[in-house]
Amino acid sequence: MLEVKKVGIISCSGEEFAGGCLSRIASRRVLESSRPGRTVTICLPLFLAGGEEERYFTQNFPTITIDGCEKRCAFRATERLSGKVTKAMTVSEMLGQDVAIDAPFSQRQLNSEREKQIEKVRIALTEAVDEIIGKTSEEDVITPLNPPPGMRLL
Amino acid sequence: MTKENLVFLVPCSGMGKVHGLIGREAVFKVVTELRPKATELACLAEIVTQDEEIQERMNGRKAITVDGCPQMCAEKNVRLVGGQIYASLRVVDAFRNHRGVQAGSATQLTDGGLLIADDLAETIAAKVDEALQGGNQGA
Repeated sequence: MLEVKKVGIISCSGEEFAGGCLSRIASRRVLESSRPGRTVTICLPLFLAGGEEERYFTQNFPTITIDGCEKRCAFRATERLSGKVTKAMTVSEMLGQDVAIDAPFSQRQLNSEREKQIEKVRIALTEAVDEIIGKTSEEDVITPLNPPPGMRLL
Repeated sequence: MTKENLVFLVPCSGMGKVHGLIGREAVFKVVTELRPKATELACLAEIVTQDEEIQERMNGRKAITVDGCPQMCAEKNVRLVGGQIYASLRVVDAFRNHRGVQAGSATQLTDGGLLIADDLAETIAAKVDEALQGGNQGA
């Protein structure tokens, strides 16, 4: 039987605080750059808005919640509305409460300090993914081949 | 202006689509630049918890939601905690004046994406003004 190795990341994405912005961006970067193909992100608000696929995934696959602040809304809402969370993380624990409850920021306000904070959260999230499904081995890495002339790789 | 008169702005979290990020960026621009004294943010994740605290905070208050996909999560969730939807905006409508523009991704917007966000922010700001003038659209 084929073992499916995917982890769901549920970010609070909290709009009121910097912690939510950091959790959202770090989650996206894990999905796109750190562990593409091994992670999916799940929209938290869809749990209440009728997202059957989201609920199914959370009930059947390992999930990590990443919250911005100590209210831990993503963790609490996921456990209440969908299923058991495999690992719960908070930005405030990683970077301190002051950073977490700072004002939210837009893409235009990203600076080197914010990038460092995002990087810390991204690394912690990536490590959490690896803890759950193991590190990417050499065998898992597919090296693209140069196709023969006239052949196109799909 | 008293706190009770501030208009809540609630964008969807938009984890999966560029539309979600455009909505967020637009709302941040309204709250920080265009109408900072007339608006207030609410975390959609906290609204999803349906905690007593957020229900009390939003109960009967005017809210403008900005959704990135047809599921309309922000609008539905705000209604569930008793918020009064003054206007429910869709990011896809903001694309109508920017056909063919590559907006970026759910992680990062291009200059074109930021331009769409700026346009949407103007629309939101106009709705905020209407709401403050006593409008009851969507109520």
